Amino acid sequence: MKRGSFMKKSKKLLALALATAMVGASMVGCGSSRAGSSTSGTTSGSQMADTITFAQGADPRGLDPAYVDDGESAKIMCNIYEGLLKYNKDSTEVEPCLAKSWDISDDGLTYTFHLQEGVKFQDGTDFNADAVKKSIDRQLEPNRSSDMPYASFVYGAEADNTGVKAVKVVDTNTVEIDLRSANTAFLKNMAMCMAAPIVSPTALEKNKGNLNEAPCGTGPYTFVSWNKGQSVVLKKNDNYWDKDNAAKTENIVFRFIAENAARVTALNNGEVDVIDGIDDTVVPTIQDAGNKIFNEDGMTINYMAYNTKSDTFKNAAARKAVNEAINVPELVKALYGDYASVANSVMPTFMAPYDTDIQQTQYDPEKAKTDLAAAGVTKIKMLTYTNPRPYNTKGGQQLAETIKGYLDKVGVDCEIDAYDWTTYKQKIETESYDVAFYGWTGDNGDPDNFMNLLADKTVSMNIARYDDFTYRALIQKGIATKDGADRDAVYKQCEQMVADQNVWLLISHSKNLCGYNSKVQGFYYHQTGITPFAGVTKTK
Amino acid sequence: MFKYTVKRILQLIPVLLGVSIIVFLIMRVFSPDPAGVVLGQHATPDAMQAWRQENGLNDPIWLQYWNFLIDALRGDLGTSYYTHSPVTQEIASRFPATVELAICAIILASVFGVLLGVISSVKKNSLADHASMILALIGVSMPIFWSGMLMIILFSGTWHLLPSSGRIDPMLQPVGGTGLYLIDTLFSGDFEAFGNALQHLILPTVALSLYSMAIITRMTRSSMLETLDQDYIRTAEAKGLTRGRVVQHHALRNAMIPVTTVIGLQFGSLLGGAVLTETVFAWPGIGKYTVECILKSDFPVVQGVVLLIAVIFVLLNLVVDIIYAFLDPRIKYAKKEG
Repeated sequence: MKRGSFMKKSKKLLALALATAMVGASMVGCGSSRAGSSTSGTTSGSQMADTITFAQGADPRGLDPAYVDDGESAKIMCNIYEGLLKYNKDSTEVEPCLAKSWDISDDGLTYTFHLQEGVKFQDGTDFNADAVKKSIDRQLEPNRSSDMPYASFVYGAEADNTGVKAVKVVDTNTVEIDLRSANTAFLKNMAMCMAAPIVSPTALEKNKGNLNEAPCGTGPYTFVSWNKGQSVVLKKNDNYWDKDNAAKTENIVFRFIAENAARVTALNNGEVDVIDGIDDTVVPTIQDAGNKIFNEDGMTINYMAYNTKSDTFKNAAARKAVNEAINVPELVKALYGDYASVANSVMPTFMAPYDTDIQQTQYDPEKAKTDLAAAGVTKIKMLTYTNPRPYNTKGGQQLAETIKGYLDKVGVDCEIDAYDWTTYKQKIETESYDVAFYGWTGDNGDPDNFMNLLADKTVSMNIARYDDFTYRALIQKGIATKDGADRDAVYKQCEQMVADQNVWLLISHSKNLCGYNSKVQGFYYHQTGITPFAGVTKTK
Repeated sequence: MFKYTVKRILQLIPVLLGVSIIVFLIMRVFSPDPAGVVLGQHATPDAMQAWRQENGLNDPIWLQYWNFLIDALRGDLGTSYYTHSPVTQEIASRFPATVELAICAIILASVFGVLLGVISSVKKNSLADHASMILALIGVSMPIFWSGMLMIILFSGTWHLLPSSGRIDPMLQPVGGTGLYLIDTLFSGDFEAFGNALQHLILPTVALSLYSMAIITRMTRSSMLETLDQDYIRTAEAKGLTRGRVVQHHALRNAMIPVTTVIGLQFGSLLGGAVLTETVFAWPGIGKYTVECILKSDFPVVQGVVLLIAVIFVLLNLVVDIIYAFLDPRIKYAKKEG
């Protein structure tokens, strides 16, 4: 009896399991054609898909421009928020955005912004001068908290006598910003995706001053949801003020796929429409699947810095001798193929076209041998990082080993110490080294943002520990000089000083490399590393 | 049994204290300074110093630990340095994904592992036995990042049968509930989302279960072989019982005791997060997230996750011990031996 009941139960369980498996299998069968369905939804009656999916490597740090500093956040935030100014689509020149025009006082200390009228935040709050003031004031001292990574860069610091002294509401649609000292880069700062965007004062109040998980701006897309580790979903802002630049696609989905290979498969499989963070090795795979490649100059510099305080390289002649031993164009081609350009200047050419005139040290291994012997350089300690970086997709170790190969040929012995990026940044400050590898991703498209690195007193910024009075004076002059030929001349002089004194071995400017579905139109990756989706569409 | 359970739960206290002290010290001694990570490339030494001060990182290490302990006892695991979100919220948003994947993987691994192990032992030295053991060997030795990528290439890239990554189509995201998508979608009657979540689960579940399945197969086989060699099995066979009945009722139940331990431990480690599987399949679980936080020196999150995993391990061991009592009537935890 007992056994019979057990058998009956077993049979029932078996039947249930089989039925569940069949239902599951049938669902999988039905659903298999829907793999990647997020990209296949279409607006009824239209030839346009209603959803575009962008896959990036990680979650955003947050979605409040005051509290983040990472590119993953910027790519999402630039669709939700807007600043007083914005960058031109093809350059880092600034254009009107929430400010329709602006005036600058003759002394360069007062900026008056005339605001767009009739603009509303996504929560219905009116955009006006009060909103601008609240948005900036929370990032000024003493309101500023220590974990606002870009506040001091964009709005300066009292101790340095830089940045914003006060924000004054002149009337509903006019705001005046007083600076402590003249700063020509200030306008470009106002177009940045970090710290500068104007946030809804109502949302700020509602969310205790932090919009990391409840972003609300005036941009073409409205935040819908963020599922940690998975996706952020945005939908079209139907009340967007600028009808000419309104969103064309109903939904934008940002998915987070850490593995490069997995992102490529997702693109080729049609699960996502656009991916970034790829390197040249996957380009053929992407193209073979019928997808396209976006490949434009990025705002970066990849370099090897000489420790100008070390015994080996305090002498400029020794630095020049090593530069002579390294064939940079050959190295760049071998490591990065067609997806990086040889750096002839600290700044990428699109930021400063005059930089093509700069004369860098030429590759001459025979002369290098003589000069190295004269300078007594026989052994070099190199410090580098292991991770790929935006300016060096191959990672610092491979770069260091390639350079070691050139130096071996001229009789210089190299010792390489490599660390993960976070540890490396600490080692830079605490360990001794002759050369170290680094790079820079520009913030605002202003020459000061690149050239100032060699005038910075912080070692983690100025790893060459370069300390030159003339250079610092030029930097101070450049920041206060109005845009134009005079300012260009200052920075050209800085560039030539870097070349003449061989403070860095300039290596490459990386390219922004993305893969996208051939049905996607209008996609671009701005030099500042943002992905505005308002004008992007996808056909069925 | 009740006393035993209470005693085991009380044993959690020293275990958690030990684990928390070790993790706390390791993070502070070996991890890079979080100030640089949190404040970014424009951080000045003054700003970093101010941040450390605000976050109590300049306090003596014993005081830092004491503050952490007091807050943890109040249920406050702190705030993530990097995202500013409460640690409990960060864990809660990712843990269900890990649980769902671990449950599916352990079910798959247990069912097939026990089945293959039993077949192997009953048909010892047969073709089926050799085939099962080769499968088990492959399962143990094949790295997940390789088998996972292979499955993605075949089932997603080549045959377009299954999605390659993620947990569900973002536009079908279920809201609220348990966070276990299969259950949430099923109970809300959203069968489209259920089917979609199921599709996304298949590849990571299979990839993750391979290793556990191999271990369970080998353990079941050896345990069964040992049991089948016992006198009482011969007695049962001599009494005229069928081979199937002997295996099912006399051998398997006894052989399952060590197998249960292995399943429990495997499940515990799967709940701790399967870093490689989660990375390869972009599965938004706790394992991948913890590794990211270790790399960012996000101390509060790492400490919180490790505490959670320690609790899970201890509780799972307790559950396994309780299951023993049902499997083996000789085990009576509450009874004192004379």
